[in-house]
Amino acid sequence: MIKKILIANRGEIAIRVARACRELGIEVVGVYSEVDKDSLHLRFMDDAYCIGEPAPKKSYLDIQKIVDAAKKSGCEAIHPGYGFLAENAEFAKTCADNNIIFIGPDYKALALVGDKLASRNTARRVDVPVIPGMELKSSDLETFKKTANQVGYPVIIKASLGGGGKGMRVVHTEKELEPSISAGQREAKSAFGDDTVYLEKYIEKPRHIEFQVLRDNYGNTIHLFERECSIQRRHQKIIEETPSVALDNNLRRRMAEAAKQVISAAGYTNAGTVEFLLDENNNFYFLEVNARVQVEHPITELVTGVDLVHQQILIASGQKIKLNQEEIYQRGHAIEARIYAEDPENNFLPSPGEILYLNEPQGPGVRVDSGVYQGWNVPPHYDPILSKLIVWAEDREIAIARLVNNLKDYIILGIKTNIGFLKEILLTKNFLEGNYHTHFIDECKDELLKKKKNLHAALIAGALMQSQTKKVTGPEILHQDSEQTTPWQELGAWKICKR
Amino acid sequence: MRYALKYLNNIHKIEVKKEDSALYILIDRQNFVVKNIKIKSNQVSFQLNNKRYCVYGVLKDRVSYISIDGEYYTLELADEKRQKRDTSTGGDSVASPMPGLVVKIAVKVGEKVTAGTTLAIVEAMKMQNELRAPRDGMIKKINFKEGEQIDAFEPIVELS
Repeated sequence: MIKKILIANRGEIAIRVARACRELGIEVVGVYSEVDKDSLHLRFMDDAYCIGEPAPKKSYLDIQKIVDAAKKSGCEAIHPGYGFLAENAEFAKTCADNNIIFIGPDYKALALVGDKLASRNTARRVDVPVIPGMELKSSDLETFKKTANQVGYPVIIKASLGGGGKGMRVVHTEKELEPSISAGQREAKSAFGDDTVYLEKYIEKPRHIEFQVLRDNYGNTIHLFERECSIQRRHQKIIEETPSVALDNNLRRRMAEAAKQVISAAGYTNAGTVEFLLDENNNFYFLEVNARVQVEHPITELVTGVDLVHQQILIASGQKIKLNQEEIYQRGHAIEARIYAEDPENNFLPSPGEILYLNEPQGPGVRVDSGVYQGWNVPPHYDPILSKLIVWAEDREIAIARLVNNLKDYIILGIKTNIGFLKEILLTKNFLEGNYHTHFIDECKDELLKKKKNLHAALIAGALMQSQTKKVTGPEILHQDSEQTTPWQELGAWKICKR
Repeated sequence: MRYALKYLNNIHKIEVKKEDSALYILIDRQNFVVKNIKIKSNQVSFQLNNKRYCVYGVLKDRVSYISIDGEYYTLELADEKRQKRDTSTGGDSVASPMPGLVVKIAVKVGEKVTAGTTLAIVEAMKMQNELRAPRDGMIKKINFKEGEQIDAFEPIVELS
């Protein structure tokens, strides 16, 4: 068993991993950039190393500094969390070269699943359906034209090393094809350093459904069912749930088998997620493998009762998976909402800054995976995720109600967050009926933003709060009537508290 | 007592009057009767139209941050002078609406620009925001270099 682990991450996921380590009696070492010296995650570490300047490239993405910190502190393993270096094959290889266990797949498997064309071909080899499209790398326009005609328009251009929507272009007619390919190549080159793009059929109104898989070093492979992640904004998931209302048991079983086959064929070990698109006729297509612990992993933990980070560490320690597939089942329903520091009313502009007030919800079936505290200054250098609110309940209806109520109790003041926006999504008729797809937010964003109904109460509260400050004189008061004394001068704030 | 509170782009005029045990509050010429007011450190509660409201709020500088029933409102105490400066279309300086890193300065001092020209790009939390010229003009001054950190509302480029 591993005795000491370095966590190469920050924020809520660093804390999540640290908790799992401590539960297993493992010492934890944290890392931080200069701007993170007061970050919450450091309170969960036995020891911590500063690894440089705030810019990710000079700290959390600096492979050598992280490996040096692991060696200096005597760590046998590194857990990369998600994002940053989590799916970086070079990082995994550097760990291996330095005799440090990378908690994740072997670097060769990591490189394979990181290349979309290569992983598509792996899936095809084991007869798992992929979206019809190109099988080989090509920069020849005629090949693109021919494939587009074979699969039928609309088609989509994607970057082979892509992610996050970069390099993607939807093409409706042959005339748009050539400029879209060039634009996709340019964007792919600048984002991933490689201009390889490929073409596949564009699935309209798909659902995004992924399966959690675990595979140990001895070939034992199990799945922990699905997560539905169709509620996305700009290709970023924001609400995830399990079970998915779109699957019946037969389809669920077929997709789970397909996921296990892809993972096995790729020679993949540790925890991985196999993503699928499901079209309107319930055809599923392999999309890609996410080689890390996912942001949305807690919903799987709540319905299966399996701690995924524990499993990651046990598998990386060389242990066999002790869980039996037949004993894993989905109990109740779980939903996660991601809390981001962004302003829905101003085009979702990032909103770093000081958290002036924080109240995290609690109660039956509520889990908060948070990386922030009141008084902390959220830095502008990193991903805007602040925390995740995850609920579990006996059924979907109660789970939604529980999540809505707990979003209302989740108070973050001083910076802008998407809490109100998340609540509105959950209350839409389509979400309540489970009738949604990956373009849900694009289609109803404006409507969701118009739903505020407490403006007058807010203005009353705002005026009452202003009245409590001492300096409500001068230019702050508009058109003060000279003959009128203010109620606050007459009263003082506490008199009106009497009933 | 009168206040003007700005929410998004609208200024709401609020007048508060006390009568017996209630407060009569006029918001944009609409009347509200507010009773049973309690104000504690970060909570304001009151009764309005037979409904009890429990509001979380923080006041910092001129801005109140408010949460009611899962809805968020940021209300700024409006100042007439400041208002004029802020809203004059085609102002003389361009500021970043968010703190972040200046990743690109796209113009030089003395350069003529037209409305809509990209002047600079500021990045925060993995998102890039383009700052564009609000009007035609000439670049008078540039206050930041690429790679520098910028606070929200700091003028980055000045036009003449």
